[in-house]
Amino acid sequence: MSKAKWLSNVKLETGERWLDNGTVETETSLFHLKIDNGKIVEIIEASNGIPAGHESIDMQQKLAVPTFKEMHNHLDKTYMSLDWKACTPVSSLKERLSFEAAELSVLSDTAQQRATTMIETLLRQGSTHIRTHVNIDPYIGLKNLEGVIAALDTFKGKVTADIIAFPQHGLLRESVPSLMREAMRSGATMVGGLDPAGIDNAIEKSLHEVMDIATEFDADVDIHLHDGGFVGYYTTDKWIDIVQQANYQGRTALSHSFCLGDIPVSQQELVAARLAEENVAIMSTIPINLGRVIPPIDLLDDHGVNVHFGCDGFYDSWSPYGTGDVLEKATRFCELTRKIDEKSLRNSLKWVTGGLVALNEDGQKVWPNVQDEASFVFFDAASSAEVVARKPDNRLVMVKGVLV
Amino acid sequence: MQSMLIKNARLETGFVYENGRVVQTETDIFDVLIQDGIILEVGKNLSDSGHSVLQADEKLLMPSFREMHIHVDKTYFSGPWKACKPITNGIITRIEEEQVLLPAQLPFAQNRAENMIQWLISQGHTHIRSHCNVDPQIGTKHIEITKEAFKKFENQVTYDIVAFPQHGLLRSNVEPLIREAMRMGATLVGGVDPSIIDRDIDRSLNLTMDIAVESGTGIDIHIHDPNSLGAFEFYKLAALTKQAKKEGTVTISHAIALGDLQGTDLDELTAALAEAKIDVTTTVPINRPTIPIPYLHKNGVQVSVGHDSLTDHWSPFGTGNTVEKLSILAERFKFIDEYSLNRCWRYASGDITPLNDEGKQVWPQKGDAANMVLLDAVCSAQAVARRRPITHVVSNGAVVFEKEDVFEGVLK
Repeated sequence: MSKAKWLSNVKLETGERWLDNGTVETETSLFHLKIDNGKIVEIIEASNGIPAGHESIDMQQKLAVPTFKEMHNHLDKTYMSLDWKACTPVSSLKERLSFEAAELSVLSDTAQQRATTMIETLLRQGSTHIRTHVNIDPYIGLKNLEGVIAALDTFKGKVTADIIAFPQHGLLRESVPSLMREAMRSGATMVGGLDPAGIDNAIEKSLHEVMDIATEFDADVDIHLHDGGFVGYYTTDKWIDIVQQANYQGRTALSHSFCLGDIPVSQQELVAARLAEENVAIMSTIPINLGRVIPPIDLLDDHGVNVHFGCDGFYDSWSPYGTGDVLEKATRFCELTRKIDEKSLRNSLKWVTGGLVALNEDGQKVWPNVQDEASFVFFDAASSAEVVARKPDNRLVMVKGVLV
Repeated sequence: MQSMLIKNARLETGFVYENGRVVQTETDIFDVLIQDGIILEVGKNLSDSGHSVLQADEKLLMPSFREMHIHVDKTYFSGPWKACKPITNGIITRIEEEQVLLPAQLPFAQNRAENMIQWLISQGHTHIRSHCNVDPQIGTKHIEITKEAFKKFENQVTYDIVAFPQHGLLRSNVEPLIREAMRMGATLVGGVDPSIIDRDIDRSLNLTMDIAVESGTGIDIHIHDPNSLGAFEFYKLAALTKQAKKEGTVTISHAIALGDLQGTDLDELTAALAEAKIDVTTTVPINRPTIPIPYLHKNGVQVSVGHDSLTDHWSPFGTGNTVEKLSILAERFKFIDEYSLNRCWRYASGDITPLNDEGKQVWPQKGDAANMVLLDAVCSAQAVARRRPITHVVSNGAVVFEKEDVFEGVLK
């Protein structure tokens, strides 16, 4: 007996129509989706009856959108599941790091418990992939890595993850390069880095060390780059050189990259073209604190650079806020850049789905298709534009045909 | 009238200091007795005989919110989803759009206003200030329906209705209509960008003040005009306010210019607003420089937050959730420690907070109005940072909203 089942009355976006007044509306229709082995095996219009012989779940005309990818997090740092604690103000990054170092050894005992609460929070709101950075530093060694891996193990089949060995307290110091290698042997899947100028004080050496570890383990890379202005720009440009030399196209990302917002537009265009050429992705957490410049995401997108959003680490020693809703980051980005019409709202969902959207920029249906993984977030909404603008709380998350 | 005992509510009682810095908020469990909409007694183990009892189960009791800038009369809220039309001709795009859209929405505008008011009450608001279009197409019909809508929530929410010449007091020639709106019961005279819309700053502001004097009310004027232009208008308005002895009754909404100015320009303008007791409201926008809220407060200009829109033809965003609004305010200004998070509440409560700046408990006291909310939170700093949910809303001494199934510990 087959375990196939039908999801009935699922609302899917099928196209768009232009009204006389120049506005666009999204067209939707209801479908029945047959799911087998976690995949979509058949899609029929809901005007047909639900074929007999299999279990069926009535999705009550909810809109299906692709599940979300949380592309920048720090599962090991959160205070979630502990008693309320606000942050301690500091006057410099150095002070923040030394405060974190002192706290880390105390917190590392509960790494698994805290990470678990964070994963639950992310998953409940629709993220089924989590890219997490995990501190690898002289204070806690691999302890946080062990906790995060243990936590993620319990979500196998529901959540996929990238686990990045992250030298938060500097790569080029003491035992860290060897700890990083140990982390790569102990379950980390990607190599991280941090501010080659601001933290490591040796831009080229730091970047080469990251790439050396990456090639040694055949692993991808995601580097935190907060260094602003032209020093950040040079770091980016130099990284692109290194990617080119190592043939690492499509395997690396730079997180935050505020510097790209600091440089003149002509230079943004040049670096965007290079990022696209070597397929270096940019991760942004869409910060809104006053004075914070964010990378020129629309310009990067226009040049073909892959951009992804993340929540960042939250409710930890750095920041007391954060909800774990990566969709809210898309909403916020639209608000920030005044995307208020149907088309631009709809297109913005791609920042949180790893690029997957129901309609392409021309309004043609491109998702979901037979053979696609049956993973969806369901909303009571008219279109993905509404989902982005209203970030509705009520959601159902399905992974490979199973509601989680 | 009836009395109600709130049993076992958590109240903020002070700060815990470590090395001279606030590291925690002290709370304790109390009972609060309310009669005729007023707090009668705050104490331990008060007798519950003869009163209805609200079991607070150690939830946090806080002053309720005041929604100080919203348009309940023109919204898509509770209607079908509709994104905005792209802007092609600045604000004029929207004015032209309204000439067609608002008459079309009129048959269900009151219903949507009621749904919005209901939602805002559920989000902890016990006062709502709504701007209300008065324009050549709609006339004073929106004033009428807004009054009718609020009438349905008597005793649940107090309100102000601002007679708002959205299409320009001079530009759309609505002076007689605004005067009519004031006679119909609008409680404040509105206005919008005397330069960009009316193109005659002095005449526009003078006429606005004239109507306020005649109707014996205050003013709440939208001024989006940026930097030096906005500042020019604020000084004019401050002078007019003093001249008309209207200190303490004038509000500038948005006051975008304050986010553009720095140094002595900002200092001097702030001092002029403080002297005329002009307050400002803000939506804490993230797509432009937010006005320097803590600086303004510190220098005598009261700041209040408002949502403006919960989805309409101007903006598809907006939640009506003021806990979320305060958390965005905190994030915008990088308030990350216990003390600065604790001090946020006042921007949404009409400056009422359980603790004063020094950490002395000042609310709730005997004689205070019984407008409050219960939250599933351990202190207001946590409520703001972690966006903890409101479980009950008490307005004028009675429970007006009760949340059925609070998602426990979602964001803890």
